[in-house]
Amino acid sequence: MSFFRSRLFWIAAVIVVIAALLPFWLSAYLLGILTAAYYFGVFAMAWDLLFGFAGEVNFGPTFLIGLGAYTAAILNANYGLPILVCVIAGAFSAVVGGILLAVPALRLRGPYFGLVTLVAVLLLQNCIVIFAGITGGEIGMTVPDVLSIDADVNYWYALAFLVLCAALLYGLSRSAVGLILQASGQDAVGAAALGFNVTKHKIAAFCVSALFSGTAGAMLIFYMGTASINTVIDVSIAVQIIIAAVLGGRRTILGAALGAVFLIVANEFLRPLGQLNTFVVSAVALAVILFFPDGLIGYALHRSERE
Amino acid sequence: MRAVQVLVDGFAISSLYGLAAVGFTLIFGVSGVLNLAHGGIMVVAAIVAWAAAGEYGLGTYAGALIGVAAGLITAYATYLVVVRPIQRSRAIRPEETEIFVLTGTLLWGIMIQVGMAYLFSDNPVTVRPLVAGVVNIFGVRTPTNKILIAVIAWAVIGLLWLLVNRTRTGKALLGASMNPRGITLLGYELTQLYLIAWTIYGILAGIAGVLLASFLGVGTNNTGQLTASAFSIVVLGGLGSVSGSLIAAYVVGYLETMTAYLIAPTLRPIPALILLVLVVYVRPQGLLGRR
Amino acid sequence: MTGEARLQVRDLGKRFGGVVAVKSMSLDLHAGEIVGLIGPNGSGKSTVMSLIMGLIRPNTGTIRLDGIDIASWPAHRIARAGVSIVFQHSRPLQRQTVLENIKLALLPDSLLRLATEASAAERARTIAEQVGLGEVLHRHPWTLPFADLRRMELAKAVARDPKVVLIDEPFAGLTAAEIKIFSDLIRTLRDEGRAVLLVDHSVKSVAALADRVIAMYLGERIAEGSAETVMQNETVRRVYIGGKIEDVERKAPSTARDATLLDIDEVEVFYGKANALERVSLRVQQDEFVSIVGLNGAGKTTLFNAISGLVPYRGAIRFAGGDLKNLSAAAIARAGVVHCPETRELFGHMSVRENLELGGGHLAKTVRQHKLAWVFDLFPILEQRQAQAARTLSGGEQQMLALGRALMMQPKLLVLDEPTLGLAPVILGLLSKAIERLRREHSLTLLLAEQNVTFALPHSDRVYVLDHGRITWHGEPARFADEMSTGYL
Repeated sequence: MSFFRSRLFWIAAVIVVIAALLPFWLSAYLLGILTAAYYFGVFAMAWDLLFGFAGEVNFGPTFLIGLGAYTAAILNANYGLPILVCVIAGAFSAVVGGILLAVPALRLRGPYFGLVTLVAVLLLQNCIVIFAGITGGEIGMTVPDVLSIDADVNYWYALAFLVLCAALLYGLSRSAVGLILQASGQDAVGAAALGFNVTKHKIAAFCVSALFSGTAGAMLIFYMGTASINTVIDVSIAVQIIIAAVLGGRRTILGAALGAVFLIVANEFLRPLGQLNTFVVSAVALAVILFFPDGLIGYALHRSERE
Repeated sequence: MRAVQVLVDGFAISSLYGLAAVGFTLIFGVSGVLNLAHGGIMVVAAIVAWAAAGEYGLGTYAGALIGVAAGLITAYATYLVVVRPIQRSRAIRPEETEIFVLTGTLLWGIMIQVGMAYLFSDNPVTVRPLVAGVVNIFGVRTPTNKILIAVIAWAVIGLLWLLVNRTRTGKALLGASMNPRGITLLGYELTQLYLIAWTIYGILAGIAGVLLASFLGVGTNNTGQLTASAFSIVVLGGLGSVSGSLIAAYVVGYLETMTAYLIAPTLRPIPALILLVLVVYVRPQGLLGRR
Repeated sequence: MTGEARLQVRDLGKRFGGVVAVKSMSLDLHAGEIVGLIGPNGSGKSTVMSLIMGLIRPNTGTIRLDGIDIASWPAHRIARAGVSIVFQHSRPLQRQTVLENIKLALLPDSLLRLATEASAAERARTIAEQVGLGEVLHRHPWTLPFADLRRMELAKAVARDPKVVLIDEPFAGLTAAEIKIFSDLIRTLRDEGRAVLLVDHSVKSVAALADRVIAMYLGERIAEGSAETVMQNETVRRVYIGGKIEDVERKAPSTARDATLLDIDEVEVFYGKANALERVSLRVQQDEFVSIVGLNGAGKTTLFNAISGLVPYRGAIRFAGGDLKNLSAAAIARAGVVHCPETRELFGHMSVRENLELGGGHLAKTVRQHKLAWVFDLFPILEQRQAQAARTLSGGEQQMLALGRALMMQPKLLVLDEPTLGLAPVILGLLSKAIERLRREHSLTLLLAEQNVTFALPHSDRVYVLDHGRITWHGEPARFADEMSTGYL
């Protein structure tokens, strides 16, 4: 209960209130960018839970996101199921995917596991291209239903979703389970010696990460009205997610969300540079890795811990 | 007829894959680095070779050499700007260094890809055949160039084998890959050995890139795919095992060629991916892996 | 002490590849007693602990906790059954406070628990105060001194009220005063009715604390009983110091030239916060054979790593007048200070010949061939096995290879770390003869670190004793027999 009186809560509350009021000032175009950024924020937070807490590097978060997105899209476009059902189904299939990914993770060390996650993305990508009849292949597919046509409403959906996920994920990270997860990720042997079934906890971490990633992916589809490889599966998206989490700071959860928003907005500002905006963003992320490996927010947090 | 075509094509592409994979595995064995900018180095070599030959009118051979040099420079940049600073950084915990290097090289690879696309556009380039003409193998007309590529690839691999097994420096590199502390106590400077390893790697990747451009054509959009296939081959063969990489290269090369010819060209990368997943689940250390 | 043992280990066995780490080990641990497990490096003591804790799975044998066989259980299940371990190296969660680290130990293994109970925080506080961490509850581990980190490890281990407490090297890195405080804490554990098993290199500290001592060697139990009986046991003394320190046959004092070849001056080494070497000074003259004797954990390897430039240190180390601090490790080796380490660091997948040739890599080809022949003459078995991969050699052959490889470098000063470790007595004889021959036929300056005093004394011109990171005695071998034989073990 003391949390609600803490500085963090009040700063967050102020930010959320300001964000909620933005539609009264910003154009539909800018709102659209922020909307996409908020979903991206959920992707990044889910990734941070897995990496920052369970210690698993997932180079293919888009595998989980893509599963959620495409399941929802296919169900909606080909079978006409309502949005809510599709989103739930998407989340479910992502969790299944998460478990599939968890199994080798528990037997492989870092780089090997990273490779498996990359391969998973490539396989999914190829599957979508092969079954183009159902999935629309490389062109993508459209879904008949959308959350809303109004930019303001879409924005608020996204914001609410982000805030809900942030609250849940952050709460999880600070909970007893979160502590156990951190211990499992940092020192599996030590955690086992203290009586924790590390395997069980890591699989759970995968499922939670998958749940949020898949749900967010499905919601994104119903915002954009389309699903394609380029928007939810491509490795470049995966890299952006990783960059966002790294920029914001690992193990901070909220930092990842901020990093994602910052990244999308920065991409927008750098748009005039054309292709080079990816270059600049990657260069900045590389610089962060070299000089601030704990991320910008992580760095700020450490400064305050030291005082 | 078909069979011979598959045989020849498969051989050529496998030899190239082998060349690229051997470099990748070498740098992992000695330096401990999984270089995700691998494809970037090959692409730089290919595009610079094409540009030097065509746009700057220096001719095919000079262009090829300049391309290889460009690959080498890119490899150096990868080591000195990205890998070494991360490895030496005191702000990163030792257990996390590997992952940071991985992410760092990934970002660097993207920077190379986008940078090159900006400078040269993302159209695939081909390097003009080094040798003209056609040769008849069992009734199949094959460009002589294709044979030459396979020959060059093997000549380079052969030279590498000689270097590692017959020279003092090569043995020292091997020693460094087995036991860095041991080689230091014998008076060999690790920093020097690492530089040598990256030099060899840069040359190998550069040659592989130029040859690939001569054979199939290479563009910036291939960057990720090139890294992925080198990575897959090396994991299949066993990280750190050069002979494993070569064998795996042929397995993958032939699988891909057969798929392209006998099933469908679009399904080309699939069997290798499936094989990779199987290997990772069943035998993570690969065919002949040590580490 | 009650009749039925809390923990019964029977015929425990573990092999790693071809190496037998533990060979048919049996022991009983009763509630309310402290049992000390001692033995030289490689005797298997730490492996036994890991096996009991379930961190490694045994090949043979049973481990019964209150009658139930836990040998095949995963570690977390064994922990929940009432066994806990204090690891040798502290492993705190750096981002959490001391209180949170201890609270973690109190959490149930549940996926669904989001909030910690208020009682858990209270209990964590109580435990922290019991071990003396009451003042630093809200600090982060990286701000704490070494001894406090060790206290925290102890707190974590006893948080869940364990029946059996395993403690691995509790005294490593602690000052004498801290050792006393820790011993008191461990005694409290016993008085609370727990069964305590501890492993440490410091035989004296274990002896002062344990109710019973079990000595291990090469994976087996060789003696058991009260501390005094075990330390006077013939086999134990032979294993630790090589036998009776009587007047072993000595050669006449060598005509060592006066030039100081190696000068170590007030060297200090810290591992994190632990003080591994405290103001160590020693000197080696040209052509001298100097031995540093001491038990494991005394700091011999640390000292040699400092000389070789492998660890940072304070103080000065001078070789032939030049300061070694500014040179890289490889440069120090090339300068003539050749270190043959305890772990040997061979190139396992290379052949014997390739290993040797790499050692002679800086020499001209003809010189190298000449040296190779010389090494083969010194160790004929290496010539026999020259095409074999190094890792297929036996322990003794590997040691000879390591020594031969070091000699290929034409050392001005050979720094030899525990060459007799884990070797059978027959091989020791071979090595001893080889060293004798080396000194006779070539002028060689040697600095030897050994636990096995009987091996070291006959060759030495001078002896230093290293104990807990400090030089505690220095003199000639003859005097060593008189003055140190009783106090050493």
